[in-house]
Amino acid sequence: MAQAVTTPLTQNVLREGLILPRTPDPAVMVIFGASGDLTARKLMPALYNLALNRYLPSGFSVIGVADTALSEAEYKANMAEAVRKFSRTQPVDHAVWQSVADGLSYVRMPFDDADGYGRLAAELERMDRERGTNGNRVFYFATAPQFFPVIVERLGASGIARAGQGWKRVVIEKPFGHDLKSAQALNQAIHAVFTEQQVYRIDHYLGKETVQNVLVFRFANGIFEPIWNRRYVDHIQITVAEDIGIERRGKYYETAGALRDIFQNHLLQLLSIAAMEAPANFDADTVRDEKVKVLKSIHPIEVAKDVIRGQYGPGWVGGQQVPGYRQEQNVSPASTTETYVAARLRIDNWRWAETPFYLRTGKRLPSRASEIAIQFKNAPHLPFARTAIQDLAPNVLVMRIQPHEGASLKIAAKIPGPVMRLRTVNMDFFYGSSFLIESPDAYERLVLDCLLGDPTLFAREDEVERAWGLADTIEKSWGMQPAADFPNYAAGTWGPEAADALLERDGRRWRRP
Amino acid sequence: MSGEHGELSTRTFVDVHAIQDELEQVRWGLHENGEFSEAAEHAAAEARASVLNLIAVVGSERQLTEVSHVLDALSVTNPSRTLILLAQHDRSAAKLEAEVSAQTRTESGHRVTTERVLLHAHGEVAAHLASLVDPLLIPDLPVVLWWPGRPDFDNPLFDDLCQLADRLVVDTDEGFETPDLQRLLEVARREHAGASIGDFNWARLIPWRHLAAQFFDMPGMLVHLAQIQGVAVYHGRDGSTAQARLLGGWIRGRMTTLGMEVPVELRLDDAHEHGVCRFLIYSRGQDGQARFSISHQPGGRLSAEVRVDEQDFVDRTVRLARRSAEELLAIELTLPGHDLLFEEALAASLR
Ligand SMILES: NC(=O)c1ccc[n+]([C@@H]2O[C@H](COP(=O)([O-])OP(=O)(O)OC[C@H]3O[C@@H](n4cnc5c(N)ncnc54)[C@H](OP(=O)(O)O)[C@@H]3O)[C@@H](O)[C@H]2O)c1
Repeated sequence: MAQAVTTPLTQNVLREGLILPRTPDPAVMVIFGASGDLTARKLMPALYNLALNRYLPSGFSVIGVADTALSEAEYKANMAEAVRKFSRTQPVDHAVWQSVADGLSYVRMPFDDADGYGRLAAELERMDRERGTNGNRVFYFATAPQFFPVIVERLGASGIARAGQGWKRVVIEKPFGHDLKSAQALNQAIHAVFTEQQVYRIDHYLGKETVQNVLVFRFANGIFEPIWNRRYVDHIQITVAEDIGIERRGKYYETAGALRDIFQNHLLQLLSIAAMEAPANFDADTVRDEKVKVLKSIHPIEVAKDVIRGQYGPGWVGGQQVPGYRQEQNVSPASTTETYVAARLRIDNWRWAETPFYLRTGKRLPSRASEIAIQFKNAPHLPFARTAIQDLAPNVLVMRIQPHEGASLKIAAKIPGPVMRLRTVNMDFFYGSSFLIESPDAYERLVLDCLLGDPTLFAREDEVERAWGLADTIEKSWGMQPAADFPNYAAGTWGPEAADALLERDGRRWRRP
Repeated sequence: MSGEHGELSTRTFVDVHAIQDELEQVRWGLHENGEFSEAAEHAAAEARASVLNLIAVVGSERQLTEVSHVLDALSVTNPSRTLILLAQHDRSAAKLEAEVSAQTRTESGHRVTTERVLLHAHGEVAAHLASLVDPLLIPDLPVVLWWPGRPDFDNPLFDDLCQLADRLVVDTDEGFETPDLQRLLEVARREHAGASIGDFNWARLIPWRHLAAQFFDMPGMLVHLAQIQGVAVYHGRDGSTAQARLLGGWIRGRMTTLGMEVPVELRLDDAHEHGVCRFLIYSRGQDGQARFSISHQPGGRLSAEVRVDEQDFVDRTVRLARRSAEELLAIELTLPGHDLLFEEALAASLR
């Protein structure tokens, strides 16, 4: 007869050696802003696809919160429609959707309404009772940032944030603050109710397979890390290019601009990942410590010299004539908001001293592309006399994040024949086909990580504040000297001339991504 | 040619993102329903190699057919992303159609895939096709712009595409006049990243230049080179004089490097139909008089003759191989960088 274990189990020993992903604990996700665009386009489709791949625990439930009057049936119908329209896998599996919809309910209330939180608390308790969610909660803020503080405050005041047993987590959409001061204030408001360990700040770029692949590429393949430094790398270019304009987001964009919208978060995240040292392990905090170190080692920027801003005028993109930024809806005809930023950064550490990092982002550029390009130095000695080597560009390793995730390596190869002639060959790797599996959407990964309690791919407080500090320096210098030459690039071109000059000064050129 | 030749899919689009998605699909051999084909499994194991982006601009359906044939033949040796622009600058309403296809060939066990996009534009969009080309190019690879026929230099499309291109390939035999040659030179000399120029017509002059150079390799002949008085280039009555100008420009440009200014005379030879038919180099000095001549002979041959101080001798005769557009283009695709001799000849021909 087996001896009973007397101490309580802290680990499921049966899980040992099983590589199947863990299933999260049963939980309720409360979506604030449940009738909004993000919920329809990203969140619901992500939840459905997670269910489809059996990642969601049974009993997983969702409470949508918003102010539109909707019956539960209407709300479910809206969400079903959203999934039908936006799911990456088609057609929608009816039975799977039904299982998600069974755990779906809707609470109508304005975010500042104390009574509403009473009803929400009652609904949460009902879920715990009927669906066994044990007090585990994810509070997902899928709404405009001005509501974040009031929701946090009410969650605290109503006791929901701490009620019963089980874990509580908050997911916060971007933008996280507007500058360093507001980000600090927001952090403070959140920490009045939640600890940092409970906070999950979304930067959906981090949920992309390729971004994670950059880490794997660097740290799991012995051959890259030894050359990932100033001795072999000439410079690094990080691009987040969009061909779209500002769509209907004029009101928001006027107060944000490219610096806040993309540079402060996505571009700096990509920079951290490309430049960071190998973490001792893949614990959330170890990885994030290394990322923060990169931000801390950024050499003080001389804004006037190293940062270029731009705004698009009318032009042609993708075979279509498009208006300039100042002609867009809800934009001032004299707007000085930037739609383009390029910066030359240096990182003061042993690995990267003297290796420039060129970052750029812009709207209405000729194509959409997000990538990290590592430009290696020329081969030190070329033994192939008289082969017009000067025309062979050096090796480039590119990690593409959007639109089609993948990696490519540019190499020189000999043209078959008796004469030694070389030519550039691009070897392309496509993650999708290497594994014959379609990549999940970033939101699926991030939602699942949050349910599992893994914050590695979320931005930490100090990370966000560091990044804002940098953005503030730039913003401050710009504020003292409003751009006089806007618009300074035509839609459908690769940004203002000054951005080209920024690299030409160093004897380099921007890539065509 | 051995091997299979498969068209994976052909569809019509107008949206650049849709074209990009489709390109990605055909590139990796994905079927429309998202399933992975045999080609995809192959790609997964191999990764995909490409060597260049090729843009061809045509003005009519007829030209499209000709160009497609040439490109088909090239796809094996040059795995590339090929964009064919059928730009009809007419007054019709703006209209844009795109067709994406992939040619996969298996050549002694190796699979080579070339993706091809045909962009067919009418009206105003035709002039702005470059805005659709940029997002469809493979990064990091050279962009070769092949413009069969005489480009419409004044259309914005020409300049916009030249901005994107690393190399512009033309055939100046297609009615290029002096201002057109001037434009070519401007493209090559543009301050920011001028495109290099490839010219089929220049390639056709290679045997002429060879023979001319060989004259002065003969013992005792080099002295005459330093005493050149002038050259005459005879050309046929049809077509442009570009070839004759380039040949004259070549010798002129070369001699300039020695500090000599050589007069070049272009003469019409009514008896001849097309292109350069005779090339004469005169020299006179303390070493006597000499005349070096190269003539086009019936039956596609070139004969070279030298007369020194009234004494004639036939030097040699070579066959003048007619090269197809396909061969000429294949050469252009592998040439890297600027052809400085060509640019020198072009500049000298315009002096
Ligand atoms: N949309 C995207 O693709 C996207 C991408 C990245 C990040 N984000 C971020 O995600 C967040 C949400 O964006 P969104 O585009 O989904 O916004 P949205 O479409 O405007 O949705 C806002 C949601 O908040 C609710 N709401 C607004 N005021 C309320 C109030 N006083 N009381 C109760 N409910 C209220 C609205 O509900 P009612 O209208 O029913 O009142 C609606 O459900 C933002 O922080 C945004 O920056 C969005």
